[in-house]
Amino acid sequence: MKKQFLNFLTLGALMSTVALSSCSDNGGDPITPPVETEDRFITVAGALMGTNPGDGNGGTMVYSVTKEEAKDPDTQISVYTEGFGVKSNRTARLQSSEDGSTLFNIAYTGDNGGEFSRYTVIGGGNFVQSDVSVNISQYAGTSPRWLKLYDGDKTGIALNMANITANNAPTEADPNPLTPFEYYRGVATILALDLEESLIRNYVQYEIPLTEEEEAAGHTIFRLDGSVLNAAEDKLIIGTWMRKYNVATGETEGDYERLGTKSVVVDYPSFANPTVITSTVAHGDNSGYRSHYSYLGDDNNIYQATERDPAGSHILKINQNNEYDNSYVFSLNDALGLTGVTIEAWQYAQNGKAFALISHDGAENGFVVWMDLNAKTASIVDLPYDPDLEFNQYQGFVVDGTDVYMAFTPVGKNGNIYILDSNTGLASKGATLVNQPGNHYIGIF
Amino acid sequence: MKTNLTLILFASAIFLSGYAFSQTGKVSGTLKFNDGAPVAFATVFISTIKKHALSDERGRYELTDIPFGSHQVNVSSIEIQKHDFSILIDKPSVKVSTMLERAADSELAEVIVEAESHKSEIEAAGFAVNVIETKKASLNSFQTNDLLNKSVGVRVRQNGGLGSQVSYNLNGMSGNSVRIFIDGVAISTYGASFSLNSIPPALIERIEVYKGVIPVHLADDALGGAINVILKKGAMNNLTASLSYGSFNTQQANVSGSYRNSNSGFTVKASGFYNYSDNDYEVWGKFVRNILANGRYEYVRAKRFNDAYRSAGANIQAGFTNVKWADQFYLGVNVSDDYNEIQHGTYMTIPYKGRFTESQAKVFSVNYVKSDFLTKGLEINFNGMISDRKEVVNDTVRWNYNWFGEQSIGLNGDPILRPNGAQQGAPTINHINRNISTFRGGATYDFSEKHRMVFSHMYYTIDRTQRDLMRPAREREFIGTRDLTKNISALAYEATLFESKFKTNLFGKYYQQQIDRMDPILVTQNGETVKSEDRVASKNTTSGYGLATSYVLNKGMTILLSAEKAVRMPSENEIFGSPGENIIENIGIRPEVSNNLNLGFRSGPYQLTSTSKFTIYASGFLRDTKDKIVRKINPRLNDAVQTDPFENLGKTKSIGFEGEINYTWNENFSVLLNFSKFNSVFNIQYDPNGNEYNYYNQQLPNEPFFTINSTVQYGFKNLIQDRSALNLYYIFGFVDRFYTTWLEIEDFRTPRQFIQDIGLNYVFPSEKLVISADLKNIFDQQAYDNFAVQKPGRGFYLKLNYSINKF
Repeated sequence: MKKQFLNFLTLGALMSTVALSSCSDNGGDPITPPVETEDRFITVAGALMGTNPGDGNGGTMVYSVTKEEAKDPDTQISVYTEGFGVKSNRTARLQSSEDGSTLFNIAYTGDNGGEFSRYTVIGGGNFVQSDVSVNISQYAGTSPRWLKLYDGDKTGIALNMANITANNAPTEADPNPLTPFEYYRGVATILALDLEESLIRNYVQYEIPLTEEEEAAGHTIFRLDGSVLNAAEDKLIIGTWMRKYNVATGETEGDYERLGTKSVVVDYPSFANPTVITSTVAHGDNSGYRSHYSYLGDDNNIYQATERDPAGSHILKINQNNEYDNSYVFSLNDALGLTGVTIEAWQYAQNGKAFALISHDGAENGFVVWMDLNAKTASIVDLPYDPDLEFNQYQGFVVDGTDVYMAFTPVGKNGNIYILDSNTGLASKGATLVNQPGNHYIGIF
Repeated sequence: MKTNLTLILFASAIFLSGYAFSQTGKVSGTLKFNDGAPVAFATVFISTIKKHALSDERGRYELTDIPFGSHQVNVSSIEIQKHDFSILIDKPSVKVSTMLERAADSELAEVIVEAESHKSEIEAAGFAVNVIETKKASLNSFQTNDLLNKSVGVRVRQNGGLGSQVSYNLNGMSGNSVRIFIDGVAISTYGASFSLNSIPPALIERIEVYKGVIPVHLADDALGGAINVILKKGAMNNLTASLSYGSFNTQQANVSGSYRNSNSGFTVKASGFYNYSDNDYEVWGKFVRNILANGRYEYVRAKRFNDAYRSAGANIQAGFTNVKWADQFYLGVNVSDDYNEIQHGTYMTIPYKGRFTESQAKVFSVNYVKSDFLTKGLEINFNGMISDRKEVVNDTVRWNYNWFGEQSIGLNGDPILRPNGAQQGAPTINHINRNISTFRGGATYDFSEKHRMVFSHMYYTIDRTQRDLMRPAREREFIGTRDLTKNISALAYEATLFESKFKTNLFGKYYQQQIDRMDPILVTQNGETVKSEDRVASKNTTSGYGLATSYVLNKGMTILLSAEKAVRMPSENEIFGSPGENIIENIGIRPEVSNNLNLGFRSGPYQLTSTSKFTIYASGFLRDTKDKIVRKINPRLNDAVQTDPFENLGKTKSIGFEGEINYTWNENFSVLLNFSKFNSVFNIQYDPNGNEYNYYNQQLPNEPFFTINSTVQYGFKNLIQDRSALNLYYIFGFVDRFYTTWLEIEDFRTPRQFIQDIGLNYVFPSEKLVISADLKNIFDQQAYDNFAVQKPGRGFYLKLNYSINKF
């Protein structure tokens, strides 16, 4: 079956979130309705268990259906029997082109760890790997964290933080340094991957200092991930995972008073001039896990989620001056009336409407939450929740017009694709996802 | 040296003892053919008092502690026609000379038969064991690991060439479940510098590979099996030396000698070895690529450049043998040292430069064996060792290198830094010191010829300290210590019944393990922060039991059955966790338990024609492992502290069979063929919802499950010179392809391997000098033990062996 894709139309649909959003005012209805694709592939990804149920370490398989098929509950998708194995020893780090016609993967660990490959989606279990591979492991390691920018499928950003050591750690040249302790710092790598040409376009490696006071207390950036391009496309905002060392013993501290949430802002595309911005609203990390954690909204502001936040996850706003807007306070604990809410993954849809996958104190399973970022409200979407439903490895949503497609399967049980209407927060059941014991579906691309 | 002091005594210690309170005498004899030539290696046996001796190359033998009176002496050897005669012992020293009739068989054949008799004695005891004789192999350029790898049911997985990291798989079980011993002592006592990598086969008498069921004298928590290397003890007053040189600048030398004063019983044994290899063999294929600045691959053929290995060691034992108060008493020192460059990690896709380890070990030992201790039939033995092991891991080079050994240059023209600061991880110069004490004591009591009790107790303790010079001083002060103590008691009952047709060995083992953890912490006392120690101890006890039996059905057919409830104690990381690896402690973790079963037979030799015969061995096995220790998977990955403990969750099962056929023709042509096939399967059947896992009963990935090995040998006699021998051999090893992940795609499947070696050795007429040549991997195939780690290609090796017996 040969499909015709209106590539620049679909591209335009997604560009609308960037380019046309300037026509909408903050919080108002969009002047131009979001464009839906005429047709596109919906690719589902499932993780095989490795040694233990639900660990996802056995590799990743993918299978594609048309949008129509994805919406039809009579469609049966069995990724584990009919799907295609993506070359990754562990769970693949998948991303898709905005029109769904191409999958991008960077293999995570293993003999080909750090290898970027591109697959053309043909339909069903047919994927054709392009013959050019590019490997970023020299710069970013064999387990790199990476995301695609929303710049028309041009760029992927991989990030790494390496070799965190104290300033007075011994070196071969100076085995017994007498310098007093000042900081723990690692070397950050920011790398741009040209997705069209399949090669590394640019990279930088440098240290990113915090304030003297923060560093003296043992705080440092432990990991970088979850990058997003600002509306002007001149700054890249990068999420952080913070760590604190006990400066007296050198041990990592587990329980400590966290600093305000921090992002690293660098010039784009040069990655020069790194600066650190700090929120006064939230104290969690914002690096996310395997998926986007910050989005550029229709209003040209960046919305960012937090995790490991002592007061529960927040959505933070970074304004067009690339600073935290500390007047914007949106606590998921407060909005849902729960405690310990953690956003595992989330997706901005349109016009301030978004969906988040959360866990919270006392809950066995995960929940899907509909959020209105402008009204700062959130509610749990009505879905058939199950105690074995976990979103910890969830990594992919497809936004199509006002709809958000997601895979909803408890570990080892069948589930469905759900199509979430971002204007109403209602879910409609799509294709059946046939599961296998110990496995789970991890995303839609 | 005085020649009249030199007599070889191969007699087993059990049978050699003194009756301290009765009058005894000594027989010194000579065995000669009627043409005057000496009868070497003939057994001289007095059945009434069960005393054995072997004649030496000049036909001389000695039997001591023989009660006064008349005795019937039996002389046997394949070279002679059987001969009995009687002697009268009426004075402390009796001399006797015996003339014997020549039999048809040749001298060389007899040596082989003698060597195999020890092998078959162990192999017929009921355990699933194969005994690897090193006698012939030591003449050629084999490594000890090569010999193991050719053996049935053993898979050695090596990370490259000489000296590289090795793991052993016995019937599908590997890693921590397989324990290695040297002379019954855990190999960790000796350290990395004195390992199966460094001990040349010439210093080894034989290797016993126990699969699944392990006899009490090797009491350790070995769940899947044990490899016991028996170092040479045999012949006295000899000196052997060998020297070899070959491809990849591989040099190996070893020398060993022994001396015994037959008047005083004073005995000295000494040996030394030196190994070196550049391991600069070529690698190629899909895993060997240079990554260009823009991330593209450039596939290359390159020589390994950071893989040199050097090891040297010496061992000296001095004491008394076969004296009134001891069959064996030795004090010994073993020193060894090695240097090992590491070319890459788990996969060879990323080459390292400048990562290496150095290790040294000093081991002091005392050994005592006495049979008929206090009462007849009671043998006691004691072995104590104190070892001081030092090891340094050095990895400080900050840059990326390509397969040509050149710095990788990034897009901006600067050298690219390694992602974690050094070649493998963070920069490190980590000094790890271990003090290990091992004491083993045992007693064997023969109630009668048919019933025997064996008791053994092992005490093992290890103190480990480490100091990483690349960590700041204050961090070093806060590194904890872990001390491990193990006590293992074992009791066995052995019976030989029904006219020696039925042998059984019933045993029980009791394991105690204590691990003490000490972590320095900071506490506030009177408003002041001071360093203190947080101490926790974990104690685990458990027991296991099993049996090994054999039954001789008819002539040449022996059925072997063995079974054991085997255990493996949890390791320190599994109990206490490791903050650096995000593992939290689980003090309550239980030992891993496996029910192991072997059923097989040995059959033969069957005479096909008057000149050809064959033997067969086949065995099936089952390993049913429960409470397997696995890392818990936390579904809440976003938890503030991403750490998980180990738990007793896993279950695996390994089921398979192996076989071996040995064919000989005319005593100079032989073919050995063995194979092993097993399924190590995922053994958890249902998920929490009651659905059956798809992996249930499926082969676990990354396990070579089907292997075939064959050795073909042909010997010529008197071809170039009279009384010389030329032996040719051909070896092949086959490993079937296997998937390395559950995801069964071609990219994660290993190639099928078929590696062939040829070689020859020439024994000069004096039998003192042997020269050998080997061509390994003749077709320069890509050989892999581990996925994406290529082993050496074609290599040529030359070796000289020189030995002097009797001086």
